[in-house]
Amino acid sequence: KEGNKNTVKKYSRDFLLKFAEQFTDVPGDFEIPADTSEALMNPSVNASHVVDRNSF
Amino acid sequence: PSNSKGLLLHQPQPHPLEHSWTFWFDNPSAKSKQVAWGSSIRPIYTFTTVEEFWSIYNNIRPPSNLADKADFHCFKFKIEPKWEDPVCANGGKWTMSFLKVKADTFWLYTLLAMIGEQFDHGDEICGAVVSVRGKQAKIAVWTKNATNEVAQLSIGKQWKEFLDYNETIGFIFHDDAKKLDRAAKNRYSV
Repeated sequence: KEGNKNTVKKYSRDFLLKFAEQFTDVPGDFEIPADTSEALMNPSVNASHVVDRNSF
Repeated sequence: PSNSKGLLLHQPQPHPLEHSWTFWFDNPSAKSKQVAWGSSIRPIYTFTTVEEFWSIYNNIRPPSNLADKADFHCFKFKIEPKWEDPVCANGGKWTMSFLKVKADTFWLYTLLAMIGEQFDHGDEICGAVVSVRGKQAKIAVWTKNATNEVAQLSIGKQWKEFLDYNETIGFIFHDDAKKLDRAAKNRYSV
């Protein structure tokens, strides 16, 4: 079936937006270097996944 | 469907995307340290489902809240957001500009159109990047085969439709950008 256009996983914007508020926690395997965290992570969100080896 | 792991029985199945995508971040504070161009770009996370996309997107700063000179990329897995990447090398990009404060919705809608496979020539797409420059923000969609005019025009037109963007946008070949820098001219416009 590969290559068949009907198998392409298409999702409309409206469909994707339905999930926006259901997934607010970072994935369990998400790690971000401490020097990037502040610049990239939204400060209003709990940044518990920052990698700071010293704290372990 | 039955599932031997009882705990998972009542969890909704995730929605897999057609492609895996990687978020990359180019940190402006790292850029100031006289490093070679491109070496401050870092992969942040690769997502494969609708659910993982939101889990990351909801926790990172929107473009309007990124520092000046930041670049945030979303590229197909295994394609690096660099001219030198073999998949990008013969490509080019469409670019839109607007005030930084207005960039968030445009960026989100660009991402959703890409990961939701809304482009007729989605195979031609490498990824997208939002760049903050002063009060302005630019979003660019990178594509693979710059000389494939039919595909590029289709992508440019559809992108404007998805974002309800009315200004003319231009397509620059990476080859031209490499040789001419800012003097590179649009090869296509829609």
